[in-house]
Amino acid sequence: MVRQGKLLEVQDLQKHYGKKNNLTKALNGVRFDILPGEFLGIMGPSGSGKTTLLNCIATIIKPTSGRVLLNGKNISAFDSRDLSEYRGSRIGYLFQDFELLDNLTGQENILLPLAIHGMNYTKARGKLEELAGYLEITEILNKFPAQMSGGQKQRVAAARCLISEPDIVLADEPTGALDTRSAKALMNKLEGINKDSGRTILMVSHDPNAASFCSRILFIQDGVIFHELRRKQEERRERFYERILKVLAQLGGGSANVL
Amino acid sequence: MFSKLIYRNAKRSRRENLIYFATLVVAVASFYMILSLGKQDVILFLREFESDAIDKLLTEMNIVYVFALFILFFLVLFANRYQLNRRSKEFGLYLMLGMRKERLVRQLLAEGFITSILALAGGILIGGILAEMISLTVSKLVGQGIIGHQISLSVNAIIFTIIGFLLIQFTALAILGGRIFYQEIHQLLYEQMDETTDMGHVKGNILHILLGAALLGAAYWIVLYRFSDFAGLLLFVALALGSIGTILFMRGLGKLLGLLASLSKHKSLQGLHTFTLRQFQENVANRSTSVAVTSILITLSIILIANGASTILSLDGLYNRNSSVYDFTVNGDSKKVGEFLSTGKMVSYVEDANLLEMGKMKDEGERMEDGMPLSLVDWSKLKEQLTMALPAPYKEQVLSGEMQSYDISSENPEALNLLGVLEMDTTTPHLISESSYNGLLKAVGEQPLNLNSDEIALYFNPDFMPMENLDQMPVLNGILEKAVKEGRSLLSIDDQAIIIRPSIPMRGLVADRSVEIFSAFVVPDPMFKQLVNPDTYASYWNFRIPQKMQAQQGLMKPMMEARDILKSSGFAFESYLQNFGRKLFYIVAGSYTVLYMGFLFLIIACTVLALQFLTQMKQTGGRYVTLSMLGAKRQQMKKSMQKQVLWTFLLPMFLACVSGAVGIKAMISFVVIHFEDVPFLYPLAFAFACMVIFIVAIYGVAVARSAVHEIDKLRWKPNID
Repeated sequence: MVRQGKLLEVQDLQKHYGKKNNLTKALNGVRFDILPGEFLGIMGPSGSGKTTLLNCIATIIKPTSGRVLLNGKNISAFDSRDLSEYRGSRIGYLFQDFELLDNLTGQENILLPLAIHGMNYTKARGKLEELAGYLEITEILNKFPAQMSGGQKQRVAAARCLISEPDIVLADEPTGALDTRSAKALMNKLEGINKDSGRTILMVSHDPNAASFCSRILFIQDGVIFHELRRKQEERRERFYERILKVLAQLGGGSANVL
Repeated sequence: MFSKLIYRNAKRSRRENLIYFATLVVAVASFYMILSLGKQDVILFLREFESDAIDKLLTEMNIVYVFALFILFFLVLFANRYQLNRRSKEFGLYLMLGMRKERLVRQLLAEGFITSILALAGGILIGGILAEMISLTVSKLVGQGIIGHQISLSVNAIIFTIIGFLLIQFTALAILGGRIFYQEIHQLLYEQMDETTDMGHVKGNILHILLGAALLGAAYWIVLYRFSDFAGLLLFVALALGSIGTILFMRGLGKLLGLLASLSKHKSLQGLHTFTLRQFQENVANRSTSVAVTSILITLSIILIANGASTILSLDGLYNRNSSVYDFTVNGDSKKVGEFLSTGKMVSYVEDANLLEMGKMKDEGERMEDGMPLSLVDWSKLKEQLTMALPAPYKEQVLSGEMQSYDISSENPEALNLLGVLEMDTTTPHLISESSYNGLLKAVGEQPLNLNSDEIALYFNPDFMPMENLDQMPVLNGILEKAVKEGRSLLSIDDQAIIIRPSIPMRGLVADRSVEIFSAFVVPDPMFKQLVNPDTYASYWNFRIPQKMQAQQGLMKPMMEARDILKSSGFAFESYLQNFGRKLFYIVAGSYTVLYMGFLFLIIACTVLALQFLTQMKQTGGRYVTLSMLGAKRQQMKKSMQKQVLWTFLLPMFLACVSGAVGIKAMISFVVIHFEDVPFLYPLAFAFACMVIFIVAIYGVAVARSAVHEIDKLRWKPNID
């Protein structure tokens, strides 16, 4: 079910902070591609540059050099007006702490991106019902975030980022604020969305459990990609999970670095 | 090191929080204005002849000052709380770094002191300029050049302003500092908006609105139709009902706004419409009581300003002298006074000099059983005629003897007032000699009376008779004319039948109101000499400033000059100036206090709204970051913000306008205020409406700007538009 052509191309991405004498290279020449329909994970220890990478792709920060192409368009060179058009419509975000507006009901939160971009409501109606049904949040659509559990909030947030049918979903530690059960439920749903409707997802996480749902994982350290894992066809998740753990153990030079 | 920190923090709070600082400045300015009233030109002018009343006014102003101090204390407390909430994270940090709490509170007080000094400087400057402007405007409006201008700066006012302001500022800071003292560091560091959005049940909210509307309706009804029942006590009931009604209404409305958000499906997909509505709802629902209180404050301010403005309108009537003819009345030996008035330095100020001779009528010399003198006058026929002319309900009351006493008021029928006055005076009526009255008539260009020897005229003093058109009392003149035609006598004096002359012009007898005569008989000179009780005989020389001189120099200047000459002569005298001054005093005292309170309420309401909005803005600023992550443009967010500000100000304003209109309507129909001078009315009403709108608009713009500034200050990821 993999489609042809690259959805996202990250080309030699550099992001430097500070001045010459005190330069930090958060990203030091990262390059990779994402194909349509992929569920890509990015893992790495704190300070490895994974959030910087996601933010560059998310157009939240501008890279020092290098390009990010979405469907062949260099979004890292867009001006702010064009970027607004992309955010929320072509790119969907899923945040660690949900970022729901707590004075809006679940439904209003979900429909907000459409409203901002001035999209058609009748079309959205069906989509909303479908998403809400799938994410099991139909019952709480008219509740306010304060009346929802953490898992419900994140599923509402997921519906919000999917409602505009973005080309790619960027998820930043989506399970970070959830208990294990809710985390597993959310990941199951995300995997389902990826498999059933072929939605491309890029997820940053340091939780190997969550990462085991991905189809491919990039490991990043000190601003460069140093390893890549692919989930084999028909490979069981438990097996993939063990392989991830092994790589994580190698991070930072593995046991050789201890002592 | 710490002094530097204190200085910098104080500077930062002023710059970052203009509204907070502006509030303090306004507080100072309003203190100064009320305290410097005694230095206003018009007050200085009035002090020359109404010093008692002015002293009383200034004492009353101290009460107003204390009241203003009290109200502004809450405002300063509110503003400081807002300011400290903004900085709670910073305080938490200081404590984390090991600063002792005592030290932190001391530092806060020191910062407060610096800010206070600057607010005092700014406020006194602004208050001084405003007071000066008011002083100049009023003296121009009133004095026509006679009230000299002098700088109204008052050292006493400055001192008391400083004391009062520092007092409330430090009380507020001490209270708030104490609160910080007992808070945990965690609370300070991670202070969150802890209120969960409580939207209640739709049914309950509708009930709130209905109940609120019903209470408001009841309050309006009382104000409009039962204004003066129970000596105005019902007004307090109306005020209470209106206040509770407003609070309930706002509470229900705030929560129901959400229904609006979910109802308008079509609009909900237009940009940030839903978000804007929800923000507004949150602002109103979570703080419905204070929104309601601002609405009530604005209502009061509208009513007070309308009242004060209408008082100013009566300034125009100040020169309106329908009834009083004379500018001066001089007492004393009539011969000496007469000579003095024709001396060289005085004569140029005198026109229509007239000696008014009057006194009370003799009685029969015998006393009745109750000690009352037995009257020479028998007016029973006239009384009977007047009683017959009463409208039905009064007539029954009088005839049945149920009505024992009379009150004289403009609402009573004419005959009732006449009965009242005559009953009071006719036992030993005042007598005025015909020649005196003819002098008065001549001065106003009327024909002399030429009474027959058995003829008199009834005189009623226009200053004391609150009746329109004293000249044409239709009931009395009807009775008198009929009697003259039929040759009947309605009255007898000393058993001699007397004819009463109908329709004579009534004018004020003397320059001032000090001669308090309600009614009198104008009698032919021989009859006067015969009937007057020598013990009560009095004579007054009246004159007025020559018309020509008035035309050239205005009334006030020659009047002041003549006053000075008379003063040096040693004669006791009264002048129209006193009357003028008294009227002016009521106008100035009334309008100044009332307008002051009106604008004070308005400013307080606006400040509360502004600070409330900005508090919400600060607590929920993160939402704007989320919005921009969802693709909202900066412009969209600014527009949403402006709408929120607009609605936040308009909602309480709207209800206040309705309530205010009802209040004004009631005051007009119950003659608490009256609008006589129609040509002047609309420009003035317009000017005050503009002033109110201007003040609200200034606050609205300032809030919108600060809010946009807050958005800019949020921790933006660098690339967000």
